[in-house]
Amino acid sequence: MLEAISQNRFAVVAVILFGIGLLNIMLQQNLLKKVVGFSIMDSAVFLLLASLGYIEGHGAPIVEEGSVNASLYINPIPSGLVLTGIVVSVSVTAFSLALIQRIYRHYGTIELRELLERAKKEED
Amino acid sequence: MSDGKEKSRWRRFAEWVNGDSVTRDPTTQYVMDRRPARAHAPQELHEERERLRLKKFLGLYPLAASFLCLTLIAILFATVLCIPPFGQPGNPTNNEVSRHYLEYTEEETGATNAVTGMILSYRGFDTLGESCVLFLAVSSVMMLLQRDGNNTDEQTLLRLRREDAIERTHPDNILRKSAKLLSPFILLFSLYVLFNGETSPGGGFSGGAVLGGGLILYSVAYGPEQLSRLLTRSLYDGVRITGLMAYALTYGIYIFAGANGITVEMEWMMTVIDLAVGLVVACTIYGFYTMFQRGKL
Repeated sequence: MLEAISQNRFAVVAVILFGIGLLNIMLQQNLLKKVVGFSIMDSAVFLLLASLGYIEGHGAPIVEEGSVNASLYINPIPSGLVLTGIVVSVSVTAFSLALIQRIYRHYGTIELRELLERAKKEED
Repeated sequence: MSDGKEKSRWRRFAEWVNGDSVTRDPTTQYVMDRRPARAHAPQELHEERERLRLKKFLGLYPLAASFLCLTLIAILFATVLCIPPFGQPGNPTNNEVSRHYLEYTEEETGATNAVTGMILSYRGFDTLGESCVLFLAVSSVMMLLQRDGNNTDEQTLLRLRREDAIERTHPDNILRKSAKLLSPFILLFSLYVLFNGETSPGGGFSGGAVLGGGLILYSVAYGPEQLSRLLTRSLYDGVRITGLMAYALTYGIYIFAGANGITVEMEWMMTVIDLAVGLVVACTIYGFYTMFQRGKL
């Protein structure tokens, strides 16, 4: 068990980070803190992906001209996937922060319960 | 008759886009406003029951949520203990696809950086989609946060003007001097990263992020007006759209030539695509900053 954990230390840390983020999203009442939890979950996924592509003792995938030996470099595919993920997570975070700012301007609060109460009062 | 109706519909749509004011159809409003009839239970009893239900829900929700999260974490943890060990060359993720990318990237795309070669040529449509995501994100943030006469009240305008006046009369000397020293080097470095993306670590995304960071530093040190005089709204939009169009066009040529067996010089195409991605990313980062800071470019 301990050996398995130490062999996959990055994946274990990724799972812990993912759990922290998910609990944040579910339990926090503040919308801003929910977005922070979302970002933590993103980081966990990136950590897992980046660690999957690493090969011990191999270098960055910038191939030398001339002789190409694939066993000298790490796997380039997860790096590209993480790049995609970072872009999407930045966009989603910015968009949700903008929505939260609009909500605050309209209702004067970003606490979820107060927000629901005020929205209900306004509906009545 | 129909013209007037169209106009009112257009006005309603414009109000809906501007937000913050719900327009209702007057013919059906009384149906929406009418409360459901509850003849059998008095109002107070109903409210009391609703309050109790809400209280029960609020008491149970954290427990249920934590239970769900912990179960999911336990499942993930059990999975993680079974995946192959970290960093071994024989892992199933290191298969023939990555070997092909490493061995043939230089020959097939002209890039020695396998990651850049991969995301800009083999997976170029993916990266085009990413650029579109960034473009749409900054557009929607602009729609939500841009200040104009309709959504800004007097007080906010006064506050913004006061903050600007304070910034103008009390400039931060340390920040200003260091920005003066650093800005040219940051911009130069971003250009280096952009143009050397296929032969060294870096590429469009990192170079664009550095470029956007340099713009933000300049804007922080010298005040937003200084930069918005150089980088006007129309120039900003032009750069953003040109970047995306240049990417789509170049990659279209790339795909078309490749499919029809026409040999083209690929290295300059990679540079153009890198530059286009970098411009889109830099515009996005600077746009996010300035939208959240001031609400206008």
